[in-house]
Amino acid sequence: MENILELQQVSKTFSKSNFTLDHVSFSLPYGSIMGFVGENGAGKTTTIGCILNTIAKDAGAVKLFGKEMLDTDTDIREKIGVVYDGDNFPGHWTAEQLSKVMQGFYTNWDDALFCKYLKDFQLTPRQRIKHYSRGMTMKLAIAAALSHHPQLLILDEATSGLDPIMRDEMLDVFLDFVQEEDHSILLSSHITSDLEKVADYITFIHNGRLIMTVSKNDLVYHYAVMRCKESQFLALERNDIIAYRKRDFQIDVLVADGKEAQRKYKDVVVDHVSLDEIMLLLVKGERV
Amino acid sequence: MKGLLRNNIYGTLSNAKVFAGFMILYGIFGVAVISQSVQIGYVMIGIIGFSVSAIIVAKNEFTTKWGKYKLTLPVRRADIVKSQFLNQVIWLLAGSCFVGIELGLSWLFHGCLFDQPIDILTLFALAISMSLFMGAIFFPLFYAGGEEKGEVFWMIAILCAFGIDYTIVTILNSMLEPGITCILCGAAALIVSSLAAFGVSYMVTIRIFMHREY
Repeated sequence: MENILELQQVSKTFSKSNFTLDHVSFSLPYGSIMGFVGENGAGKTTTIGCILNTIAKDAGAVKLFGKEMLDTDTDIREKIGVVYDGDNFPGHWTAEQLSKVMQGFYTNWDDALFCKYLKDFQLTPRQRIKHYSRGMTMKLAIAAALSHHPQLLILDEATSGLDPIMRDEMLDVFLDFVQEEDHSILLSSHITSDLEKVADYITFIHNGRLIMTVSKNDLVYHYAVMRCKESQFLALERNDIIAYRKRDFQIDVLVADGKEAQRKYKDVVVDHVSLDEIMLLLVKGERV
Repeated sequence: MKGLLRNNIYGTLSNAKVFAGFMILYGIFGVAVISQSVQIGYVMIGIIGFSVSAIIVAKNEFTTKWGKYKLTLPVRRADIVKSQFLNQVIWLLAGSCFVGIELGLSWLFHGCLFDQPIDILTLFALAISMSLFMGAIFFPLFYAGGEEKGEVFWMIAILCAFGIDYTIVTILNSMLEPGITCILCGAAALIVSSLAAFGVSYMVTIRIFMHREY
């Protein structure tokens, strides 16, 4: 058993909105962080809903810790920490009350650890959550998700409300969390710079379809974008092209191996590519 | 279940504290004046009011992501429903205690203000029955019809509960001769029918909630 989370051909259709999550498959190995990237409405939250059983999938399988999680599998949910975007907890509670409630849910709830996080994140335990700033509520949610010693963290846009300094702090917390070999994180975000810092794998989703899952090292060291003129583009082998996008006077072409492309097409400029640019090319460009 | 009950109690407390403040003032007034109408109002408002505070918790959970978040916690969906029904019973009992204390004090100072003491039993039966019917109607509607329509559903639930109890009482009054038997049968019918509805509603709500998506 080497994957903490596996999705096999997961599908879900919402007839009212006409959105379909279309046969999504990926796996998250133990000890790693997977960035789950896609534009708003791409299907990230629906996928997470299918993983956590808040949404019933139409087809496919989701395995957590090697097992399909049913409603009765509370022992599996003991090992998962979740953070949603926005207000996770009732506003009239205090962090202290939240801890008391959580103690009743989790057998492994660690009040001392929760208090430590509150202190580290500079959160006041007796202040009502509705008086917290957005950043503070997100930090509280992260503290709550970590304080029952989970093995898997599922974070749905958990860093989106935080300023760059807070985000950096949280990313350090996530990196610290995956120091344990059996800990993993699925981090859905459209802030690609965060994922560039911490993720081991990146999964791209667009319009309910999984475009690709790739290791970040591959993306950083191998993927590249070729800046082609029309004539240069026409001369490219189709197999080398992952996606391309026509701009005013050039065509940007995403390739899986920049060095090989440079060797093969000597007169074309080959640049390093950021996650943002990859996302733009995959979403707005055309795929071959 | 402990976490769910704590969650519901904390949720209800914020509303119930305000309502309890109002009931204390109303109770002081009720003890101070000699009025059967005030006592009837106190029993009905007290028991039903605390029950409303309890069912509103379910609605409030969906103004944040907490309602969805709870599904990711180590609890079964059936337990979430069970805790909400239990919470309503807990607050119904709390309301009954509140009302009982006020009636007791009033009796202590002024004697029984009702035509006969057994009328108090009928009044309690009516208020408890209305509260149970209200919960029995609210929860399945709430989960089947959508959390965003919570306010409308609890108003519908109160009106329907009143309508059902009124119908039961009217039928029994037409069938039985006035007297102690009629009063006792009426009270029993109200309690038994509302408990049965509460039980059936509990099972129906679980079935509905098992298929809800968030």
